[in-house]
Amino acid sequence: MSGFDLMAILAKPEFLRMLIHGVQTTILVFIGSWLLAMSLGALLLAVRMLPSRIAEAGVAAYISYHRNVPTLVQLMFWYFGIASLLPPEVQIWLADHNSEAVFAIIALGLCQAAYFSEDLRSGLRAVPKGQWEAARALGHSFFGAMRWVLMPQAVRNASPAIMNHTVSLFKNSSLAMAIGVAELTHVIKEIESRTFRAFEAYLLGTLIYLACTLLLMAFGAWLERRNRRLRPAA
Amino acid sequence: MRETQGEMIGFRGVNKFYGALPALVDVTESVGRGEVVVVCGPSGSGKSTLIRTVNRLEEIHSGAILFDGHDVHAKMSSAQLNHLRGRIGFVFQSFNLFPHLSALENVMLSPMRVSGMARAAARERALALLDRVGLSARRDAFPGQLSGGQQQRVAIARALAMEPPAMLFDEPTSALDPEMVTEVLTVMRGLANDGMTMMCVTHEMGFARDVADRVWFMDEGRIVETAPPEDFFGRPQHPRAQRFLSELRTR
Amino acid sequence: MSMLGTIVDIVRDNWLLLLVGQYPNGPLGGIAATLILSVLGIACAFPLGVLMALASLSPWRALRLPVFALIYLARGIPLLLIILWVYFLLPLLIGHNVPGFVTMLVTLAIYEAAFISEIVRGGIQALPKGQMDAARALGHGHLGAMRWVILPQALFNSIPSILSQFVSTIKETTLGYIINVPELTFAAGQINNRLLTKPFEVYAILAIAYFIVCWTLTWLAGVLERRIAAGRTHQADAAAPPSFLTPRPGEA
Repeated sequence: MSGFDLMAILAKPEFLRMLIHGVQTTILVFIGSWLLAMSLGALLLAVRMLPSRIAEAGVAAYISYHRNVPTLVQLMFWYFGIASLLPPEVQIWLADHNSEAVFAIIALGLCQAAYFSEDLRSGLRAVPKGQWEAARALGHSFFGAMRWVLMPQAVRNASPAIMNHTVSLFKNSSLAMAIGVAELTHVIKEIESRTFRAFEAYLLGTLIYLACTLLLMAFGAWLERRNRRLRPAA
Repeated sequence: MRETQGEMIGFRGVNKFYGALPALVDVTESVGRGEVVVVCGPSGSGKSTLIRTVNRLEEIHSGAILFDGHDVHAKMSSAQLNHLRGRIGFVFQSFNLFPHLSALENVMLSPMRVSGMARAAARERALALLDRVGLSARRDAFPGQLSGGQQQRVAIARALAMEPPAMLFDEPTSALDPEMVTEVLTVMRGLANDGMTMMCVTHEMGFARDVADRVWFMDEGRIVETAPPEDFFGRPQHPRAQRFLSELRTR
Repeated sequence: MSMLGTIVDIVRDNWLLLLVGQYPNGPLGGIAATLILSVLGIACAFPLGVLMALASLSPWRALRLPVFALIYLARGIPLLLIILWVYFLLPLLIGHNVPGFVTMLVTLAIYEAAFISEIVRGGIQALPKGQMDAARALGHGHLGAMRWVILPQALFNSIPSILSQFVSTIKETTLGYIINVPELTFAAGQINNRLLTKPFEVYAILAIAYFIVCWTLTWLAGVLERRIAAGRTHQADAAAPPSFLTPRPGEA
């Protein structure tokens, strides 16, 4: 095999286009599932606070399922299993409209929602009880106290954990390749099988992923620094 | 002695239990408008519990508590209770400032979000109150950047921002280092001189002597003695009050 | 519900495949392969992880930096990409073809080692500083202190986290599916390809199987964590100054 030659890949516009599409798809799946996960996670937390044992048990079961079943299996369950239950017209329509990415976003989003919900819950538990009393003593309603006093603090408390899980979610987007989504890892494998230059292809993929996770972690560190000045002095 | 017209806070046969343990026993007393009452007693006597029942941070099992004529513990909608609470100023021992907001924002928040005040008006009121407690210069500081004494003064301003007819203080200086106690007591003295109705749970006997109209002494959930400060400190009647004061002196 | 009946039927007809794959008519697969892969993976990762933890705490940059680089790499790129790398590099390094099982094993060993090294490092740093001081004062060298005083305690305290990492490993074995490693997910795929009309039931069985395994282990980790936390408070009570002279329950 000829020596190391990155340009064999980068110089070809076709491969460049594939790479760019791959990155775009990865980012699309990432952002879609993150938004779904965050909103659902917050909703789960809200449901959990209802004074109902069924609500608490339901949310606990949801979280337990999504944390104990491997993410790949969840993806496959959605794409192969649940999709087969849909009426045939819907299945055909979905197949024509990039259904793989949609199922990937749904599966990844639902899975991460469990983790985000737990992160927010820990963040909320870390807020001192006096904050709640002070808010109520000033006349805030339950929702007012949550909205203006407790949740802002809960989110700040939870942001390191949320950041970690966000990076995990970004990496998990690669699992979508198992159901045929043309995200970055899939593209890398494609390029490798076409050029036989595994080292260069994998190196490119590695560099791109590292750059993205580095960006995410740097953003997280910046958020941490900004939050630190709001913590009470020791 | 201030002129008091009518009752601001009234306790009518209040009882409270923690399981089988009595926390408040047959408390019947009254705080008049413009009156300053200091509540003292040994720890566990129920003083904090008593003051926390006034704005219903604690529930009671029998009796009634009236604030400005309203029965605080009556069955009411949460909106009504929230409105009532906004009118009862409460200052905590541990300040409980909101750490994610600056001092100014802490004071502005509740007039805006609870009373529906416009931002500009709320800001104006907050600036005036911070000036009154001597902290205009630190208005953009966050609680984490303020000393304990400064935080407590902001907490007082925050409570005042709701324009309450009465203020409740739950051991406001107990969590402060000694050198910061004075600055908070000075603000409280100022409030009293301006005619605010105040109920304070405190160990600061100097403050009680100078500012209080009456001192209530509590022991084991009961108010066992009430008297103007010179009578209470000079000639305590109840044996437990006598013991409490003598222990204070020997410290 | 007929779905439940179908699930029972599928399990009844295919339980052997799900349990051990095509053994003895083929390589070991199914749940057995999943568990063996996970156990071996963690077993190999563990000593590697401990070494990496020690290296990351050493005063020499030459030891610290490569470890941090490796950890950053393992945590910065998807596991799938790491599998691709190993799948490509391992045969080159060894000289001949490597079965998927071994590729997956090596991948897991490296990947889990990175996480275990962070867990152990955290465990070591969480111990009171006085432990190391006391050990050095008694004349132990740095490695001796680690071997006899620090690591036994740190590892004991880390058991719940390591068990949790083991559960993660089990979930990560599913990625072997991509390179045709015969584990449980692969077995389910085979069943689905044969039945074709019952994907929902097949994948439901797959999800339930993993759920049972992982939930049980997570529960076990919780029980152990409470036991260890209870033991730790007793240790803290007995932390009078000369106590390092007498061996304590967690020490070698």
